[in-house]
Parts: sequence; structure tokens; C-alpha cells
Amino acid sequence: MDVISGLYQGFAVAFDPINLLYCFIGVFIGTLVGVLPGIGPISAMSLLLPVTLSGSPESGIIMMAGIYYGSMYGGSTTAVLVNIPGEAASVVTCIDGHEMAKRGRAGPALGISALGSFVAGTFAIVALMLVAPMLAQVAVAFGPPEYFSLMVLGLTILSFLTQGSMAKALLMAAVGVVVGLIGLDQINAMPRLTFDRLELVDGIGLVPVVMGLFGVAEILANIEQQIRRDIVQSRIGSLWPSREDLKASAGPVGRGTLLGFLLGVLPGGGAVIASFASYAMEKKLSRTPERFGKGAIEGVAGPEAANNAAAGGAFIPLMTLGIPPNVIMALLLGAFVIHGLQPGPLMMSQNPKVFWGIVASMYVGNIMLLVLNMPLIGMWVQVLKAPYRILFPLILMFCIVGVFASGNAVFDVFVMIGTGLLGYLMRKFGYEAAPLVLAFVLGPMLENNLRKSLILSQGSFEIFVVRPISVACLAVAVFLLIAPLLPALRKKREKVALDVTE
Amino acid sequence: MLRRAEFWGGLFWLGVGVFVTWQGWLLELGTLHEPGSGFVFFWLGLFMSALSLSITVAGARGEGPLLADLWRGARWRNVVMVIAALIVFGILFQKLGFVLCSLALLLFLMTFVDPVVPKLSIPISLAASVGVWYVLEKVLLVQLPKGSWLEDVPYLSWLAG
Repeated sequence: MDVISGLYQGFAVAFDPINLLYCFIGVFIGTLVGVLPGIGPISAMSLLLPVTLSGSPESGIIMMAGIYYGSMYGGSTTAVLVNIPGEAASVVTCIDGHEMAKRGRAGPALGISALGSFVAGTFAIVALMLVAPMLAQVAVAFGPPEYFSLMVLGLTILSFLTQGSMAKALLMAAVGVVVGLIGLDQINAMPRLTFDRLELVDGIGLVPVVMGLFGVAEILANIEQQIRRDIVQSRIGSLWPSREDLKASAGPVGRGTLLGFLLGVLPGGGAVIASFASYAMEKKLSRTPERFGKGAIEGVAGPEAANNAAAGGAFIPLMTLGIPPNVIMALLLGAFVIHGLQPGPLMMSQNPKVFWGIVASMYVGNIMLLVLNMPLIGMWVQVLKAPYRILFPLILMFCIVGVFASGNAVFDVFVMIGTGLLGYLMRKFGYEAAPLVLAFVLGPMLENNLRKSLILSQGSFEIFVVRPISVACLAVAVFLLIAPLLPALRKKREKVALDVTE
Repeated sequence: MLRRAEFWGGLFWLGVGVFVTWQGWLLELGTLHEPGSGFVFFWLGLFMSALSLSITVAGARGEGPLLADLWRGARWRNVVMVIAALIVFGILFQKLGFVLCSLALLLFLMTFVDPVVPKLSIPISLAASVGVWYVLEKVLLVQLPKGSWLEDVPYLSWLAG
């Protein structure tokens, strides 16, 4: 099936009134959770995962995807107006976005962020549409060794790029694999680490783990400190950037789009890294780098474009290889699996309606977001004024409802409480949750492909080094593992981690 | 050494790593030709143990923050109260049902953890618990616990269906 006919079929799905409604709900909720500090796309998607069961697979996944890219848009509003990133990818937008707002230029900051996001989001969809079919053809040739090595690479990149100690990040990835393997062995159906509990035979659910580690842990971390919000009180003014603003932003948006897309496709990469990389690049390329941090519009345009392009690019490894490159895509994989679909090289030929429907809905969703964000900014500001002491009990209740509804079991609520406490302590002790969750999802696939490879090669590890794709992935992974030991690279990595912390 | 957060964090994960290794051993390693159910657990357990040992040693050498510093100035009682409330919620969830349990949870959190004036906390808690119950049960047809203790209680039996 060629791209044009695929897209035609996709638009037929996307313009179905029920799918339009789901797309709207998705981008609306996405923007809302992006705006609200303390609840991000991960929590929102976990919460709504069970709700998608009531509709068709296309509808559910269109809504989930909408939440993801919607939150990328919404996060910038909080960053500009309150100096608190609504979600992690908007951390860097705070730097110049809030400075612009303090100088009475909140309107252009919000406007350029919405425009940049729109351009980047659209580019990412076009690229997804063109690249995915080609990559899917290549991916058919992937065997267990390639899949295993690619997953090892993804986990290593994520561990390399997380804040602070790489040993801790790798440790968390290993813990994630172990937790993901709890339940029946996929090959010989032997129960593993189930402690004779019937609830553990099917393994631990993704939703309670994610809600605990991200939702509950975030709340616990927030309520132990006083949250101060410095909302810009002055009038936001016209959102449309001036001619000079547009001229200054064109380059950063273009570069941010390309860079973000490439980093989004990379396993272990994602929107957060893309936005930081874009900011660093713009500062380096600028003739007046001293303006950065004092309200430079390039510091808003580039990162905002980059994080939206990365959000679109992240769909490629999921749709073509079946490998989620980040935690959010892991949740989306969960949504596919719940509906009995397996993303991967055969998805486009076996489920063209779903694949092209999602792609087409992303076009529609991007336009909805532009329409939604520009005139509704005043409403989002009002939402921001809701005190956290009222929000957090409600978020907590939604977490419980979401977790219970996902498996209809109180046991899952206890898993959420346990992982919530664990996540809170992990934050305190400097352990990142992202490698754990990604490894939790990849764990069963990782083990399966490792064991299959060893069976295929009759016990020889050579199978991983004689295949070009596999050896290339492993070589990069090994390089990243030993990189922190090299002084020059260690300094660079520490700088990235420091930037993220700031 | 004993005051360092790194030391205790590393020690905890070292215990987990050793436990996973032991479980992997019990589950049977198999052979390289045909890896058994415990193969990945065993090697991952060793990997975890090695990493956590390095963290523990770093903590023992005095690296990282002090344990007490992690909670300095933090309102840790709030955390304890929320965790306790959630555990009680989990225990009573099926006995009292969704509406009463969530109402109690919301009121508790808005009264004791981060206080909100009653004229706000009561209507918000009521509207949220009944509203969510209505949307999930009646609109989305998601089954929520109805409360086994409420079945014979006059005026409340409607909640138990």
C-alpha cells in the first residue's frame, strides 16, 4: 500500500465523528495535564488506559497519542507563565519563556511556542509517514539477536542520559527487568517470583507501577514542600509574534525540529533531551549568547519545536520495530496490547486502518491544538490558579480509580501504593524511575529474545557479534557504558545532568 | 559511614540483588544451549549486586549526602499521613465501596494533610466522589467496589447496588 492511499484511508478513520471526539478529548486532556504541574502525560495516560477499552482500538490509541503530544503543547504555558514546567520537556522553556513573560512579552512567548510546536509536530508526522514504511521493510529482517541488542542499546542510552550516577540508572534498569519478569515464564510456563500469590501469576501490571512511580511519588514529593507559584499577573497581550520575532525564530524552529525528530527516533532519547540539546545548540550558534536566560525568543522557539518533533519521532521505533523508545511510548505499547494489537514491522500491512488512522489523527490533533491553545490560554491560566492542596487529593483519587479499573483488583491498588512509596524514596536517594519503567516493559521481550538467540546459536554468544545491526548496537552500548570512565566524556555527561537538574 | 544515604541505599539494593540471584539459582539456570527460567534472574541478580556494592562502598567512603539531610526542612508527616490513608483506603475499599471510601479519603487529605476550609473541602469531596462514581459506573460501565458491609445498611444499600 503506498503512502497516499494509506493516508486516504487514515483520514477516513480520523474524520469518523467518534474518532474526532476521542482526538479532541485526548489533546484537551493532554494540554490540561501539560498545564498542571504535578501531573504529567505518563500519569494521565495510565489513568485513561482502562477507559480506552470501551471503544475501538483506533479510538483509544488516537486519544492516548493525543494526550502525549497535547501535553507537550500545554507544558510550555506553565513554564512561561508560572516558571514551573508542566511536564519535564518544558523545563528549558522556563529559562527564557518566563523571562519574556516578566518583561511583558508573555503573549509572543506563548505564541511562538504554539507556532513552533505546530511546525515541528507537522514535520514529525510527515517524516513518520515517509520513514515508517521504509523502516518497517528493513525491520522484517530483524531477528532475536537484533531485537535484543537494540533493546540493550535503548536501556543503555536512557541510563547514560539520566541525571546523576550511571551506576544507579543501570541498577534501576536491571530492577525493572526483574520486576517485568515476575509471573509465568513465557517459554516453559514456570511461575517466577510469584510467592504463591495468584495475583502475581500474570505478572505485575504496567498501570499500577507507572502510577505509583510517577503519579503517587510525585504527589508525595510535592506535599512535603511548600509549592510557591509565581504567576505572571500582567496582561498576556497579543499572542501573535512580531515580524522580528518570527524572523529570529525561523532558524531555531527549523533546527530544533530536525534535531528533535532525530533524538526522538533514538531509543532511550526523547523530548526532554531534545529540548535541552536544542537550547544548547541555539546558544552556541547565537551571535549574542548573553541574551539567553534573559528572555531570548530563540530559547523558547528552538526547544519547543524540538520537544514536539521528538514526540512525533518517538512513534517510529514503536510502530515499525515494536520497541518503545521511552516510558510514554511504553504506555502506548500497553494500549496496543490491551486491544490485541502488536506494533512492529507487520503492523502497516496487517492493521493499516490503525496505523494510518493514528498518523492522520495526528495531523488533525495538531490543528486542534493550535486552535485550542491560542484562544484558550486565559482559561489555562485560571486552571493554574487552582491550589495544589485541592488538586492533589483529586489526582490521588483518580490514580486509585485508574489503577483499579485497569485490572479490577484491589491488589493493584496496593501495588500502586508500594511503588509510590518506593518511587518517593528513589527520588530522595537519587535513583531515577524512567530506566526502571522502560526496562519493566522491555524485560519480557529482552529475555525472550536473549533466550531465543542462544537457542538459535546453540549456546554461542557469537550470534550477537556476527550480525551487523546487532554488533553496531552493542558497540554503541559498550561505548556508552565505558564513556563515564573517560574524564572528558564524564565531564560532558555531568554537564548534561547538571543542566537537566537546573 | 552509617550516616550516609548512599550507604543505606546501596545496601538495600545489594540485599535485593542477592535475593534475585538466589531466586534465579533456585529456578534453574539451564544451559547456554537452552537457558532455564532462572538464567536471566541469576545473571541480573549478580549485575545488580555488583552495581549496588559499588554504591555501598562509595557511601562507606563518605560520598553523597547525609541521610538526615534528605528530610531536612521537609514536611515528612504529610507523606506518612498520605501513605497511611492510602493503606487504610486499600483495606476498606471493597468493604465500604468506592463512594464512601473516596469521600473519606478526600476529606481526610483536605482536612489533615494540607488543610482546606470546610466550605470548600466538603462540597468538592462530595462532588468528586459521587461524580466519578456516576461517570464510571453509569456512563463508562466500569465496575467499582460497591461495599460488602453496606448491603444491609438502611439508606446506604443503594450504594451496594
